Amino acid sequence: MKKFESLIAEILEVDSVDLADNLKSFDSWDSLTILSIIALCDESYGVQLTADDIEGSLTVGGLKDLLTVKQP
Amino acid sequence: MNLHFKDKRISGVLNILPEREIAFKEELENYNFSRAQSMKLKLIMGYEKRRIVDTQTCVSDLCVYGLNYLFDNDLLNRDEIDAMILVTQSPDYFMPPTSHVIHGRLGLKQEMICLDINQGCSGYVVGLNQAFFLLENEAVNKVIVLNADTLSKKVSKHDRNNNPQIGDGASVTLVEKSVKSATIFGKVKVDGSGADVLIIPAGGFKTPSTPETGILKEDTAGNRRSMDHLVMKGDEVFNFVQREVPVMVEELLEFAGLDKSDIDSFIFHQPNKFMLKKLADKMGVTYDKMPNNVVEQFGNSSGVTIPMTIALNYRERLLGGSFTACLTGFGVGLNWASLILTLGPLNFCEIIDYE
Repeated sequence: MKKFESLIAEILEVDSVDLADNLKSFDSWDSLTILSIIALCDESYGVQLTADDIEGSLTVGGLKDLLTVKQP
Repeated sequence: MNLHFKDKRISGVLNILPEREIAFKEELENYNFSRAQSMKLKLIMGYEKRRIVDTQTCVSDLCVYGLNYLFDNDLLNRDEIDAMILVTQSPDYFMPPTSHVIHGRLGLKQEMICLDINQGCSGYVVGLNQAFFLLENEAVNKVIVLNADTLSKKVSKHDRNNNPQIGDGASVTLVEKSVKSATIFGKVKVDGSGADVLIIPAGGFKTPSTPETGILKEDTAGNRRSMDHLVMKGDEVFNFVQREVPVMVEELLEFAGLDKSDIDSFIFHQPNKFMLKKLADKMGVTYDKMPNNVVEQFGNSSGVTIPMTIALNYRERLLGGSFTACLTGFGVGLNWASLILTLGPLNFCEIIDYE
């Protein structure tokens, strides 16, 4: 899952992310970003998340944990 | 559910584009998003421009215009039509059926079947299936499938989820008996538990439109719409499509005894470029075999995007020859349906402007 941080940074349009970063604090945060994350999780990890799942995970680390739990 | 049909074919496809063209950039001011965010949306989803009707133009107008075009150009004889199916979610009236309004305006014969089907993004495939069912009867030799929608009238101008992609349009497809045709294989699936995923909450008999249902409210993402407007749970639609559609197509290929490589083109409903690319990736289909160029030019006109994809990309090829196609629709209902058939040679395959 090391790659996760770099993939998510790319979607959030930043050079790097910290696990403690709040998702909603990014300038690029909108429904399209959420959709891109949904697509990334489905494509790269085989996990289907909803917009609520992602917003509810609050931070980059929270999202990573959610993905780890749900990964088949 | 697996279906198969023998001795039937699609013999012509005509698309009718409505009069107004709107560019994505013209409407940036309507949305509660920064210009940069909206331009990113444009890039990823493939939004450029779209076609919509003027306020007074209805589904019956587009369909009558298209059918008259076929009559006037000797591409269709009005007395040969044994059945006319209209697939739409934007009928002229609750009653009578809009197919009957069209029948009356054209002065068609009394000895025929005329019916409306309320279906959206998978509606083209649903309409074709219905045509194939009707053609099983001895008395029915030619069926017109009209697929038309003017849902732009039900989308809020301030809804960045839906407004940039909504298009209007109509298509006329001629389906007929044909003894030498290859077997057509189909698959249809339904999940009514997702009925609220794509919905216009008010305006029907359950919640009639009132001044209150017309009040614009802002959602958590910053889109403003009322109960009278179309609303979509975008994330649920995306997940549903990625989860169910590739599986359905695999099942249909197996039922038809075909391999993915036997399909020359996957002609899919066109919600946006992003979704189609993700579908192609998941199915292991190259982008050149799954066109995604309809939304950028005309918008998403529900089921009509499938005949639009056919005429836009394959006109020359289908007027002279044929190929194996997989037509697939998915969306409101939830409903998803797919057909594998030999497409072409067609007697007509055109796109015309409504005037």
